Amino acid sequence: MMIHMKNIRKEFKTPVVREGRFSGLRTLFSREYITKEAVRGISFEIDRGEFVGYIGPNGAGKSTTIKMLSGILHPTSGEVSIGGLNPHVDRRKVVKGLGVVFGQRSQLWWDLPVKDSYDILAKMYSVDDIDKRRRLGQLSELLDLQAFWDTPVRKLSLGQRMRSDLAAAMLHDPEILFLDEPTIGLDVNAKRSIREFLARLNQEFGKTILLTTHDMDDIEQLCSRVMVINHGAVTYDGSIPSLRETIGLPTLITVTYRGTFQVPAASDLAQLPISIISAEGSTIKVTANRREINTLEVMKKLGEWGELDDIEMKDPDFEEIIHKVY
Amino acid sequence: MNHKAWISLYGLLIRTSIRSRMQYKFNFILASFLAALIQISEFLMVAIVLHKFGAIQGWSMYEIGYLFAVMILSKTLYRTLADEVHHLEKYLVTGDLDQLLTRPMPVLLALMPQNFRIMLGEVLQGGFLLIWSLGGMMAAGQTGWEAIPQSLYIIVTGSIILFSIGLATATLGFWTTRISELQNITEDAAGTAVRYPLTLYPKWMSTLLLTLLPVGFVNYVPSLYILRGELGPWVFAAAAAAAGISLALSLRFWKYGITKYQSAGS
Amino acid sequence: MLYFTLASKAYSRNLQYRGAHMIHNIASAVFGFLYACIWIGLGADYTLGEYGTQGMVSYIAFTQAALWVSSFVTNGLGIPQSVRTGHISLDLMRPVHLFTHLMAREWGQIAYQFLYKSIPIYVVYYFAFSLTFPSQLSFLVYAGLSLAGAAYMSICINYLIGASALWTTESSWLYWGNHAMINLLAGFFIPVEWLPEWLQNIAWLSPYPYLLYVPTRFYLGLGSVSALWGTLFWCVLLTAVCLLVTGVLRRKVEVQGG
Repeated sequence: MMIHMKNIRKEFKTPVVREGRFSGLRTLFSREYITKEAVRGISFEIDRGEFVGYIGPNGAGKSTTIKMLSGILHPTSGEVSIGGLNPHVDRRKVVKGLGVVFGQRSQLWWDLPVKDSYDILAKMYSVDDIDKRRRLGQLSELLDLQAFWDTPVRKLSLGQRMRSDLAAAMLHDPEILFLDEPTIGLDVNAKRSIREFLARLNQEFGKTILLTTHDMDDIEQLCSRVMVINHGAVTYDGSIPSLRETIGLPTLITVTYRGTFQVPAASDLAQLPISIISAEGSTIKVTANRREINTLEVMKKLGEWGELDDIEMKDPDFEEIIHKVY
Repeated sequence: MNHKAWISLYGLLIRTSIRSRMQYKFNFILASFLAALIQISEFLMVAIVLHKFGAIQGWSMYEIGYLFAVMILSKTLYRTLADEVHHLEKYLVTGDLDQLLTRPMPVLLALMPQNFRIMLGEVLQGGFLLIWSLGGMMAAGQTGWEAIPQSLYIIVTGSIILFSIGLATATLGFWTTRISELQNITEDAAGTAVRYPLTLYPKWMSTLLLTLLPVGFVNYVPSLYILRGELGPWVFAAAAAAAGISLALSLRFWKYGITKYQSAGS
Repeated sequence: MLYFTLASKAYSRNLQYRGAHMIHNIASAVFGFLYACIWIGLGADYTLGEYGTQGMVSYIAFTQAALWVSSFVTNGLGIPQSVRTGHISLDLMRPVHLFTHLMAREWGQIAYQFLYKSIPIYVVYYFAFSLTFPSQLSFLVYAGLSLAGAAYMSICINYLIGASALWTTESSWLYWGNHAMINLLAGFFIPVEWLPEWLQNIAWLSPYPYLLYVPTRFYLGLGSVSALWGTLFWCVLLTAVCLLVTGVLRRKVEVQGG
């Protein structure tokens, strides 16, 4: 087991903000705290080579979980282990095998050229010169870093910066990658190139990846498993197809008949697991929940209403599924 | 990561910082000279008073200049190598400290190489004052050549004391988040106070500046021996002891404080 | 009333940081305390002219409190920052004159600093050094008038410093240079008449003595009322320069396209 979390809870204490006269001073010296439970009893396990998407609305506890996994925050209670080690007891040993990327901030040196940041990071992680050169060669090919190798980080575009940051996280060849919103604010092209890179890391190099994101395309295109967190608890953990099924959003079916068609009487229709959205000319739009009726049966029923010309089926959008889960 | 590797890492950072700064060489040097000129106005202000009255509590213009110079150079050494400790508030507010906690080394050692500051202006200003004041006193036969290595020694011990005070103040940020107002007291005001002989101040204040905020050991106490032959050579041991003790205490405090870190939201 | 709204917004923006500012006041008070100790130390060995030791302590106490009104105004009135962000062309587009707009905002800032910095700091000194409050009401009025004039001059000077940001990226040097001048020429630590003669001559050719020295003399019940004419003269002159510069600035921004 690569990553293991059991009954993890995390509380934050924030001082009570006073109001009224001298409020600033009173807040400063106040001993009263509000306790906020950010994570309440999360447990999961992630195997080597898995690509897990971790999703949930803002403030659900995603970042807090990642911070506890990478040894930044101490859980209030519960067990965490990474590769068999506790990231708080053996922080330095654990982080050597981790690559962490926070999409909102860079780990590179703002004023220095990209390549200088890599030199410093290589020293930090005791990567020797031969390994460094080999890996940077590989990474710069995969991520196309060559064009801005000598540019100071502050002058990079957001997409370039993200690519440089990903390379920085991979420089010491970690087995595990934690990515906190790596595609945030990027354009379509930049997103695509980052997704390609991540997919290769997972498939060709067998890296274990945990990814948080708000972009459902990231999840759909990359992840073999998805975990949904809301109000500090995991509400779903499984594959994407089974997530679809669990929620069972109705499939939208558009049927065009040759000539006229006859819709059954309202009382008969009510007994069918099919509902009509609209009917216009020779076209009718219906929805059916595929957990209640399978596709063949739907077609058969629709065929009874008239002579079929064309059928179009549309599975629910992943985005909509997620909305339903939240 | 061992010490040798860390020092070579730090050396690398210094080299790359200088290289990137030197892209605008002219601008940088001009700015440094201007900074030195402007900052020396603070000493001029006092020098004018000394010029008019002769001495403050028996301390001559050269002697006061020496107190100024040692303080400036100690502070410069501290801020050059560990400027980010002074700016910890920024890391706490933005949550950038998260990033440093994912490094395979103690957080403090990861924090220091985040930035290397070249403070040429302060070096010029402090260096000029030191040469001017020591030169004047040597010419008058008040001190000998041995004052030069002695001064360099106390600049180093002084920078350790200032670093320790800075670190302890920064550590309070794990509870308060905002620290710049506190730094104004523990770093700026305390550092300004010991540019003048401590006998000027009421007893409680001079005691404070020799104990809780031991800035008096940066320049004042050693100067009593170096410039005026008072006390005894043990002042060098005292300066080293003050540096060692304050460093040990503030490191312990830092280690405790960091366990209280609450990463910034989101 | 637009100008009043601008000023009161600037004032209330600061209110939320009162707690931190009070801690900051302790540091400011310590600085003045150090300077006062130096003069007390000097007073033990020398007679301090017409002021005497207690007089010099009052001098320092008043200048330290007055600094927050007449010296510590927003760097370049915030113009350098709005030049960097490109906000400046937006500011110039508004149907309000840039100079009066920024000035109104700064008066709000100064009002806040007077109430939450100058007064607390002065109260601390009042008890720490057992100061005596000036007995003559007329001199208190003169001190108030000249201090208001000093605040106005300071706003003008910072407006000019800020405007220079359109021509150079190094305008912060002017800000620091201005501070160095206040240190040396405004009577911040040493009364102007004790400066070397050549420096005194330079000082009186500049507006700097009117920022701190003149109000402080009034506060101590010294000096002559005619100094207020000097305050008025510099206020008028600086206003004229500021208005002139605004015109140039507007053309510059139009040429650059913001």
